[in-house]
Order: sequence, then structure tokens, then C-alpha cells
Amino acid sequence: MEIIEKIKTNKSDDNLTEIQKICLHKLQSSPLPNPKSGLWRLSNKSKLSSFLDYSINEKDSKFDVPYPKNSQSTIRLIIGEDCQIKLIEKNYSIQQLSEDELQKYIKEQISFFKQNENWSELLNLSLSCKNNILGLKINGSKIPPIEVFSHASRNSLNAKTLVIFLEKNCDVELLQVNLGKENSSLSQSTFFCLKENSSVNHGIVSYGENRSNLLNSLNVIQQKNSTYNLGSLHFKFNYARFEISIKQSAGNAKTNLKGMQITKKDEQISTYTKIEFNGPNGFLDQINKSLADDKSHAIFEGSIIVPKIAQRTDASQLSRNLLLSNLAQIDTKPQLKIIADDVKCKHGATISQLNEEELFYMRTRGITLTEASKLQLSSFFQEIISFIPISKDKWDLLNKLLNEN
Amino acid sequence: MVNENLVKDVVKEPYKYGFVTDIETEKIEKGLSEDIIKLISKKKEEPKFLLDFRLKAFQKWQKMKEPDWAALGYNKIDYQDIIYYSAPKQKEKISSLDEVDPKLLETFDKLGIPLTEQKKLTNVAVDAVFDSVSIATTFREELAEHGVIFCSISEAVKNHADLIEKYLGTVVPASDNYFAALNSAVFSDGSFVYIPKGVTCPMDLSSYFRINSGDSGQFERTLIIAEESSSVSYLEGCTAPMFDTNTLHAAVVELIALDDASIKYSTVQNWYAGDEEGIGGIFNFVTKRGKCLGKRSKISWSQVETGSAITWKYPSCILLGEESVGEFYSVALTNNLQQADTGTKMIHIGPKTKSTIVSKGISAGNSKNSYRGLVKMGTKATGSRNYSQCDSMLIGDQASANTFPYIKSQQPNSEIEHEASTCRISEDQLFYLQSRGIEFEEAVSMMVSGFCRDVFNQLPMEFAAEADKLLALKLEGSVG
Repeated sequence: MEIIEKIKTNKSDDNLTEIQKICLHKLQSSPLPNPKSGLWRLSNKSKLSSFLDYSINEKDSKFDVPYPKNSQSTIRLIIGEDCQIKLIEKNYSIQQLSEDELQKYIKEQISFFKQNENWSELLNLSLSCKNNILGLKINGSKIPPIEVFSHASRNSLNAKTLVIFLEKNCDVELLQVNLGKENSSLSQSTFFCLKENSSVNHGIVSYGENRSNLLNSLNVIQQKNSTYNLGSLHFKFNYARFEISIKQSAGNAKTNLKGMQITKKDEQISTYTKIEFNGPNGFLDQINKSLADDKSHAIFEGSIIVPKIAQRTDASQLSRNLLLSNLAQIDTKPQLKIIADDVKCKHGATISQLNEEELFYMRTRGITLTEASKLQLSSFFQEIISFIPISKDKWDLLNKLLNEN
Repeated sequence: MVNENLVKDVVKEPYKYGFVTDIETEKIEKGLSEDIIKLISKKKEEPKFLLDFRLKAFQKWQKMKEPDWAALGYNKIDYQDIIYYSAPKQKEKISSLDEVDPKLLETFDKLGIPLTEQKKLTNVAVDAVFDSVSIATTFREELAEHGVIFCSISEAVKNHADLIEKYLGTVVPASDNYFAALNSAVFSDGSFVYIPKGVTCPMDLSSYFRINSGDSGQFERTLIIAEESSSVSYLEGCTAPMFDTNTLHAAVVELIALDDASIKYSTVQNWYAGDEEGIGGIFNFVTKRGKCLGKRSKISWSQVETGSAITWKYPSCILLGEESVGEFYSVALTNNLQQADTGTKMIHIGPKTKSTIVSKGISAGNSKNSYRGLVKMGTKATGSRNYSQCDSMLIGDQASANTFPYIKSQQPNSEIEHEASTCRISEDQLFYLQSRGIEFEEAVSMMVSGFCRDVFNQLPMEFAAEADKLLALKLEGSVG
């Protein structure tokens, strides 16, 4: 109940938007997720409660972008700062969603929400004030790459929401960066609607500082013939959850997901994915990697749902995990629920440590153990990092992972 | 294109074990209470420690809730509407098979179980359990020569109480789960096997479970102990008559393997599955678990699950001893409205332990078939390995196949590999076989048999042949 009280004391009832009211109402019946439900069973309860401990902050301090702009043509947006956007060029347009469109879409989504499964989204939408919701409608082609930043300020709980409509035949590259400052909690929800024949290369890079927390949820709806590619990376969070829900609303769509989470110290980072095929000829290629060191805990749970209507679905899911310490833990649970019979579905999971034979080989060639481990790790990371758009040339993520982390 | 109707019309073989043996039985009244448990214990002339074990389990059971996580859809079971003890009336003590009611022998004869002398040539010792009691155990003298004890658990309670007291409930404690607690409170009979140190059991041992009465549940308990450097292969078969009510079967099987011992436990489960509308059938809630206590010990489960309206079964291995090995080979076939939620747990505790899981699920009709498994590497399981493979085959677009493998590792110096795939009968392969003059249904059954080959190879020979036939029969009329 505390969190609801907190939101209410922070704002009087009149200042709450309609969406905030709906979500608060939904949360009221059970303000915290049920720890016994599958999705929250492994979640560290004290870490979750520390997420909610910080005071709610709706106005951020000035945000320092972590790396220089790639080129002039990149479009850079900061949620909470850039609210008025209207870019109309010859080939494309990027415009803010009207209040009505935004309300209508979010409300429609909320109607499908379930208390436990969508708790992070409900929390986000009850916290997000008008300024912290960015809604974009993107149309056209040859659109310059877009970067969207969300961040949480020190000692506070921030909520940011991003809603993107990708119009028909539109093709875009988008990188989302979520940054957590020291002792902060960030609740980030992203809603993506891909219309027919559109395609997006979406990247999510989330990294925190000392004791920062993140609840990151991503909700994607793909219409016919759309392609959704996602490269994601989560690291350096005391506690982070990344929840992905993708629905191929009429099938005939392509989804490629490559995600990675890296945990050290006593961190806990988890990824939950749910991919539903609601039409025939769907395609999914998913790989999720985890690396757990020290006393940390990495969790992956992925479910693929193929109902009767989704004939000729081709889905594969792979979970690859590296466990580097005696005290670390990895839990992985890939799940398939299949009713359609003409499908190709497969999944695989492995947990191991660095390959000793490879390490030995490199050492016999004069490479030190540290260097050899780094080489192995970089090949483990590279597959995911190279899938993240924009970042690869200017923003040296690999170096960051290998040396700073 | 596969002609669905053609396939659906292919011979519809009725459940051939669905007959009822008309035999006078002794039943106690319906319901479950402390008094009933005391009555069962008294009828079986049990020592006090066992009655205490039962009562304790009953108290725990009363506080427990029926599990619902498997998401199996079935009507609520009224535990007070079940007869917890039913036994065919016969002379007090049987000294030889000749004294067994001929009707019973006939029943087992019909089921193809070699109880009578002329069939003993097959060299398999059989313990036949009819409703709540064990009817006969064959080859006892020959086994006794090697020091092997193979008898019903009630006899073992009387003659080997020390072993029962020492091991009963050590692998599956009474409070383990709802159905295990129920079984611990009311178990009626089952088999007991003890293989002494250094003995390789001279023949396969086998139990045959038969539910005959429609209103009594079957709660058998099996306990197998393999002492150091011993080995045994144990087979289990199950059938039941057709009733339009659901019968409850909640069994517990405990295996214990000491240093260098090996136990191979094979099951062909063919309980009555209910009719095409899903009326009747056995509710099969079974807890099977083996403990590899000793170094280099090995427990291997192989199962062919084709019957039961509902199957809830996870034969597991606790790998405690250094370099111990656990194996699980399973074929689960569901048709019509059957539901199966089966899989295994491999708990690696000791160092250098190894486990292999091969699971094949085939779902046809409107059935639901799930693989649910857990592989856990504990902090001390250094150098341990696991390999799991679960394949599902879907036949028809109404059936569902689910896989829920759960992997948990706390030991970096261990390796876990898991793979799963889902497919259907390939039309190209079917076409190829048909173009070579192989009948449609035979082609299908060949492909199913090929799909299950990895598991059938693990079954003892007689069982493998039976399992092949069983699958072919079960699938007839359902391929589409």
C-alpha cells in the first residue's frame, strides 16, 4: 500500500491524469506483485522494496549525455526534457502523438494488463506524469537514427514512458539508453506499435551506477510483415528487471531478439520474455545471454506461445549462460506452449564457465590467462553488441564491459 | 496433403485391458480418517512404527493443499468418496500359486503376465498387485538363493521390519507433496526389493499393478534398495478396467543405490485413459524418486506413459554420491482428452555427478502433453554435467505440447545443456514411405517409433517390443 500512498501524497487527486488514476486503481487491490507467482518468485524481495524506497521525483536535474553525439544527423531525445517535437522533412516526419492518440492507445493496452504480469507497467503508468511520457509517431523512410535517453536522478525514483507508433512502410533505427545514477530507481516502460511493412532496429542499453535499480518493460505489437530487431544490454544494476512482451497480432512478422545481462557483486538482473504468435507464418530468433560473477544472480525466463491459429510458425530460443563464480547463481527457464501442429519450434539452454581448452590453447600461444579470458568474453559479448544499432562505432560498449565493469 | 479423415478412421482399437474381473472382494467403507488408517494398519498387522508413520503423514496431509501449478484441468477429487482398501477374498496365507484364486490367475493370464508355472520360462520374477494387495510373487526361491529379497511390501513389513524402518520415507518424506502424504497415510501394498552387497540380480524383477474395482483408489508403495556393488533391473506395468468414473492412483516409489550399485527402473503405464469424450479414466499422481547415495551409483528411469486420463509424474534422481549417474528416458503419448504433465528432476549435489534426460512427447487428438523438468547444480557439484533433450511431436491441430525446463546452477565448474524441439509428422517422409508401398498407418507408426527410438533402446527387450506395439495401437485413428 505504501507506494500508492506515496504517489497520492506526492500529488493531489486533481493533478493525477486519467491514466494514472486507472493504474492506481488497478494497483490498489494488490499493491505489490505476488511473490509466489512465477514471474516474481525469484525476484529478490528486499531489493524490490529498496527500489520503491526512494522518493518520487518528477523533475530531473539537467542530464549529462554519457557520450558525444555520433553525427549531426542523429536525432537525440531526452525523456522529460524534449516534449515538443515536430520534424517534418521531405522523406520523413517525426511528430508528437496527440493527447487523444496517446490516451487511447495506453488505455487499450491497460485493458489487457494483468496484475502480476504487468505490474511494472502499471507502476510506471501510475508514476509517470505528463512531462515524462514521450509519444512519437514516425513516418517515412531514410530516417536518421534516433537516440532516446531516460535517466533517474540521484536518491530518487523516476518514471519515464515512451510510446512509439511506426507508420506503414517505415524503417527506423532507434537506440534507447537507460541510465541509473547512484542510489536511484528508474521505472521505464516502452510501448511500440509497428504497423504493416514497417521495420525497426531497436537497441536498449541500460547501465547503472552504484546501487541503482531499474524496472524496464517493453511492450511491442507487430502487425503483418513488420520486422522487429532488438539488441539489448543490461549491466551494473543493483537490481534490474527487463520484461519483454511481443505480440505478432496477425502473424507474418519477423522478430529477432538478442539480449544480454551481466551481473557482478551482489547484483540481481533478470529478463522475462513472452512472445505470442496470433497469426500464421510468424518468425522468431531469440538469444539471451547471461554472465554471473561474484555473488550475483542472473535470471532468464522466456515463453513462446503458439496457439492453433499460428500455423507455420518458426521459432527458436537459445539461452546461453556463463557462471564465473562459486557464489553466483543462474536460473534459466525457457518455455514453449504449442498448439498449432505445423510449426518448427526449438529451444536450447546451456550453463557453463569459460572453455578451458580454448583458454589452454591461447596460453600455449603466449597469451596470458587474463588476456585469454578477455578474448573469450569479448567473443561472448560481441554477438549481442554488434546487434545494437548506432552504438557500435562511436560508443565503445565492448571496452566498457571488459574493462570498466 | 495428409488426409486427416483417412487417418482418423484407421482402426480404432478399443482398450483391450478394460475388462472387470468378477471376484469377491473385501472392501472397507468409503472415506478417510484416522480410524480408517488404523483399520488398514490393523488389517495388515503392522508394527507400531508404521502406524505412527501413517498417522503423522495423515496429519500433514490434512494441512496441505492439492497442488494446482501443473494447470491440469480435472474435476475436484472427493477424497471422502474413495475406498482406501480393497482386496480379493482369499485364504489367509498362500504358500504356493496353486492356492491363488484361479479367476485371479486368469486375469493376469489375460493381461499377458506370466504368473503360472508354464509361463515362468520367461525368466522374469513377477509381483502381481490386484487392487490393494499383492497376490503372488514368482521365483522367490531362486531369488532367495542369491540373497535377493523380492516380496510385497506388506510381507517385508512383517519379515524385514528393520529394513523398512530404516529406509521407508527417506527418499520421499511423508510431507514431500500432497499425493505423497496421502500415499504415506493409506498405502496398501506394493513391492519391496533388496539386493545384497555384490549381487547382480539373476533375473529382471517385475511388478504388475491392476486396479479392478471402480470405487477404490490404488496407493501402492515400492521400495528398492541396492547395496554396494549390486545391480537390478525392475519393470513395472499397469492396467485398469474401463469405468465411467475416475479412479485415483497415487503411488510412491523410492529407490536407494549405495556405492557402485545400479538400479534400472522401467515402466509401461497403460492405465485406462477414459473414452473419447474424456469420461472415466485413471488419475495418476505418482511420486517417484531415487537417491544415489553411494559413490559411482546409478539410477536409470525409463518410462512409456500411454494411459491415464491425467498423469502427474516426475521420476527424479538425487545425485549425492561422488560420480553418481542419473538417467531419465521417457515417452509420453496422449490422445483424445488425456493430459500428461511429466518430466524429471535431476538434483546434482555431489561432485562429478552426471545426468541425462531424453524425453519424447507425442500429443494427438485434443490432448495436452507437457514436459516439466528441473536440473539443479548445487554448490558442491563441481565437474558435474547434464544433458537434456526434449522433443515433442504434434499430431493434429487440437493437441498441445508444452515444455517447461527449469535450470538452476550454483556451480561454475559444471555444464548444463538443454535442447528442445517441436515438430509434426513430416509429409515428405510419409509420402516417401507410401510411395514405397508402405501402408499409411504403418508409415505413421514407423515414424513414431523412430521418433521414440532413443528411449525404446533403453527399455528391456520384452518391454521395448510391447511399447512399440502399444504406441501404434494408441495412435490408430488419431493421425492427421
